[in-house]
Amino acid sequence: MKSFLSLLIALVAMNIDLYAAEAGMPQLDPTYWASQAFWLILVFTILYIAVSKFYLPKIKDNLDNRENKIKEDLEDANKFKELSEAKLKEYEIILENAKKEVSKIHFESKNILDKDIQSKKNELEKELEKEISKAHKEILELKKNSISSIQNISENITSNIIENISGDKLNESSIKAAVEDISKKNIDKYL
Amino acid sequence: MASNPMQQFTVHRIGPEIKIAGIDLSFTNASLFMVISASIIILFLFLGSKEKKIIPDKIQLIAEMFYTFVAKMISDTAGSKAKPYFPFIFSLFMFVLFCNMVGMLPYSFTVTSHIIVTLIMALFIFIAVTIIGFIKHGFKYLSIFVPSGVPAVLLPLITIIEIISYLSRPVSLSVRLFANMMAGHTMLKVFGGFVVSLGILGGWLPLSFSVALTGLEILVAFLQAYVFAILTCIYLNDALNLHH
Repeated sequence: MKSFLSLLIALVAMNIDLYAAEAGMPQLDPTYWASQAFWLILVFTILYIAVSKFYLPKIKDNLDNRENKIKEDLEDANKFKELSEAKLKEYEIILENAKKEVSKIHFESKNILDKDIQSKKNELEKELEKEISKAHKEILELKKNSISSIQNISENITSNIIENISGDKLNESSIKAAVEDISKKNIDKYL
Repeated sequence: MASNPMQQFTVHRIGPEIKIAGIDLSFTNASLFMVISASIIILFLFLGSKEKKIIPDKIQLIAEMFYTFVAKMISDTAGSKAKPYFPFIFSLFMFVLFCNMVGMLPYSFTVTSHIIVTLIMALFIFIAVTIIGFIKHGFKYLSIFVPSGVPAVLLPLITIIEIISYLSRPVSLSVRLFANMMAGHTMLKVFGGFVVSLGILGGWLPLSFSVALTGLEILVAFLQAYVFAILTCIYLNDALNLHH
């Protein structure tokens, strides 16, 4: 930069030398110095007043407004974010409670159902037992009855067979005694 | 146009001669371009702050960028104490920048290529900064010439050097801007002259140089405005925040 500047100055100096005969540096001619100073001060003062009183406050206002707006918007966004997070939490709590309630209801209804099933089962079992004992009794009765009816039938068959074979009628009591005797011996085989 | 590359810097009267108390205060082409630059700045800022949009349009965005650029420059170099001087630094930066940029237009006049203009600005800054320093710190402001941590033997020498460097501030500040502007515009003019004198056959090389130089000069125009403003901030920082 320095060497470049010195080159520039050298070039300028050469040129100034070249045209030195025609004119030197017009900057060093004091004819219009006062005029330049006067107009510079006047123009710059007007510019300074205009800039400091009108335009800079406006631009500053504008920049501040924007900054405030951005800040407000960010604050709002944060607020909304917090709000939404709180809502999310609330929602999660509600969901949790609902889940708990569901499992509770599930458990309760299961219990009720179990109880119901148990009681129905018990009732059914009782009924079944009743039926079974009834059937048992009936069977026993039937057994008893069947024994006597079998004896009767066998007495009849016996008397019939004897009658057919011998042609004689045996008295009933002796047949009865014989059948009873045999049946007592063999009845356990069949019943 | 005259082929003299210094011709572009001549000041001539426009309109009637105005003389107040024997001093010639006539409206000149330099005055005209000061008025043009200031008008462009005011128009630009007017358009940039007219509509207060939350989402800015282009010109509003550019105006706000200038605002934040200068505001950041001041707060970075001179701290929060320099806030009251923000409008001045902003006006100064914009004025120098737009004078430099308007000067880049062909056939226009570069206000900042005149030593008297830059010297008045630099002297104003120098005097104002010195006054601010004395108001803020009283006679303790003189301690700016006595850096801390210097051996006692060297102290007189260092103090003298500090005083010279302090007093040369307006000179360096004004000459830097003036010389940069004048050198750049003279170079442009010289190369432009070469294009004409070498004609259609040989003129292409200086023409391409001229194009490149125009780009460089636009950069320099911005850079010098920035340097002028940031040096003002640094001087202001010395006056506001006494470090020694």
